[in-house]
Amino acid sequence: MHSHDHTPINVPDVEPGYYEIMETAMRELLAEKGLIQPAEIRRQIEVLDSRTPQLGAKVVARAWVDPDFRARLLANGRSACEELGITFYDDTQLIVLENTRDIHNLIVCTLCSCYPRPVLGLPPDWYKQKPYRARAVREPRNVLAEFGTVIPEDVEIRVSDSTAMVRYLVLPQRPNGTDTWSEEELALLVTRDAMIGVATIEAQERKVQ
Amino acid sequence: MTPSEAFVKRLPNDIGGLSADRIDRADHELQPWEKRCHALADVLDFHKILNTEEKRRGVEALGTEIIGKLSYYERWVAAFANILFQKQVLTPEELASKMDEVSARFKRESEL
Amino acid sequence: MKSDTLPGIVKADGEQPVFSVGERVAISVRFPVGHYRAPQYIRGKNGVIEAVMEPPAVNNEEEGFGRNAGRKRHYYRVAIPLSDLWPGYGGSVADGLRIEVYENWLERI
Repeated sequence: MHSHDHTPINVPDVEPGYYEIMETAMRELLAEKGLIQPAEIRRQIEVLDSRTPQLGAKVVARAWVDPDFRARLLANGRSACEELGITFYDDTQLIVLENTRDIHNLIVCTLCSCYPRPVLGLPPDWYKQKPYRARAVREPRNVLAEFGTVIPEDVEIRVSDSTAMVRYLVLPQRPNGTDTWSEEELALLVTRDAMIGVATIEAQERKVQ
Repeated sequence: MTPSEAFVKRLPNDIGGLSADRIDRADHELQPWEKRCHALADVLDFHKILNTEEKRRGVEALGTEIIGKLSYYERWVAAFANILFQKQVLTPEELASKMDEVSARFKRESEL
Repeated sequence: MKSDTLPGIVKADGEQPVFSVGERVAISVRFPVGHYRAPQYIRGKNGVIEAVMEPPAVNNEEEGFGRNAGRKRHYYRVAIPLSDLWPGYGGSVADGLRIEVYENWLERI
């Protein structure tokens, strides 16, 4: 086995394709030239693996139980997330969009796949593909219906299309029937799709104490 | 607008409002190389060797046909190659040689 | 207006936003070759400034060609009704788009 910096990061167990070979070769060349370190790649993979919708769910649950946090989150999404240790490893800002009785928010990136990765992790395939990106700004109600979400006509839909430095996160409405729930229990209700805005969170039946 | 104008005036990724199919909600777990590719993009951006906007432009510049035929991360890595050559960070020859070397190494390791 | 703003301060180029919250603006019509971040579906449409994004930033269309520094301007969150974007829009007349637009894509109306 090679030592230190030349240890391969990957030993593929399926036949590596052309693009995997390209990625590996490119990474190794850049490391040989001292432009990047293999350790940086490994570290960034760990960073990416640590970012999942569970983080966003905790932010939402905190906002539901703590009105001051909620206010700070709506004023500056990034700094409120940072209070919880959710660092933003890039230059993006975060605007948190509050769903209310009158307004339902939906997020999309029509031009590419901008997504609040530091707090939600990597986006699902459908978010990055043409049907969602083309249609979310054109016919959001039909798109939501495909996800099984029907927004009443008297509720305004706001579609936010990220094109630059701002990323968006939807703050879903807290469902009815959860007044006595703990923050941990609430976080379990919050789905990635609700934080994108293609889903809402159902009212909960009263729990037997 | 003539057809040839339209191709340059509208970027292949500028699809907001165009007609499209039903959404297919199937998702896939990232393959390890895809995750490494994403990490590579982030690290290159941190260093400003290849920033995120350059990556976006690089993918657009692949053109409609390649964009339609390659998967998401395949497009990224192909775009990276072009941009790094253009910036004279890598040469086509050295990438091609290294790819041969990597390919041979993978073959040997899979035979172990 | 803030009453505690100190007098005599000159702002650097680009620090003062050109547009303010509530202003009506039009999205410019032009066709850059090679890279742009103002999608075609908003070109020529009118909207209202909902927010000014701080701090000012490098033009991302230039960043796409490797310019990592330079003259900074503001992005603005612009609100445009969906019924203005799409003739025959089938949803509510209250439904709207919010989109970040760079200062050089906006015009006063």
